[in-house]
Amino acid sequence: MLRQLGEFDRSFSMLDELRRRMDRMWQDWDTDGYSTELSSADAWPRVNVFDAGAQIVVQADVPGVNEKDLQIAMNQGVLSIAGERKAEAPEGYVVHRRERAAMRFSRAFNLPVPVEVDKTSATMKDGVLTITLPKSPEAQPRKIDVSSR
Amino acid sequence: MDTGSKMTKYDERAPERVQQRVTVTPRVDVYENANELLLVADIPGATKESVSIQLDKGQLTIEASRREDKIGSPLVAEYRAIDYARVFAIPQGIDGSKIDAQLSGGVLRLRLPKSEALKPRRIEVRAN
Repeated sequence: MLRQLGEFDRSFSMLDELRRRMDRMWQDWDTDGYSTELSSADAWPRVNVFDAGAQIVVQADVPGVNEKDLQIAMNQGVLSIAGERKAEAPEGYVVHRRERAAMRFSRAFNLPVPVEVDKTSATMKDGVLTITLPKSPEAQPRKIDVSSR
Repeated sequence: MDTGSKMTKYDERAPERVQQRVTVTPRVDVYENANELLLVADIPGATKESVSIQLDKGQLTIEASRREDKIGSPLVAEYRAIDYARVFAIPQGIDGSKIDAQLSGGVLRLRLPKSEALKPRRIEVRAN
């Protein structure tokens, strides 16, 4: 009898899980796939990559990360961004809420075209890291004139 | 909230959007010591001008927005122009005129000083 009850219980937990998944689906649909809830499952940092013609621009959200705690590397066409966000609990304060975790992070991107590593630059503004990677001369967009005869 | 009530209340909860912007809840740390509350929020990409902080009837509202950078054609897009918004219930006795906000490196730091009445006080015992 007890065993049966246990199975009964389990089937309800499956239903609960189903409902959770459905909820999540609705939410993704509501927000066009942009997760507005606090979740640690997202890749961190969030990254945008643009093809700006003569260069590839990579932007990453790294709020609260020091410039010197960031390592950016290029290796065989793979750009990697790694770093650490240090905990900054101020001295002598009681913690009421803590959502901004200290963490180590690392992401790597396969760049679609060869780039000039020497001319690559990286800047930080408002917690956004911008890496500008000029394309190699052979990958630069080129205009081809049409001649008429 | 379960899916059923979410669907039935959809109209009230989500008025039609005028802009194609999504409002995101920023991650926040809250600390307190004897003199003040300290609120730290991650709002990457938001400029100082876009941040608005309001304290009204014990509700602290933080709002900010980030613009979309139009650099070229996107290859990977994990974020875009969004609004940040979050509301906190603030205990009484916070001196609204002395709130100090500082934005650096995408992190907003709000200092909410307590009024004199709220600060802990040491009471001397007299002997006679």
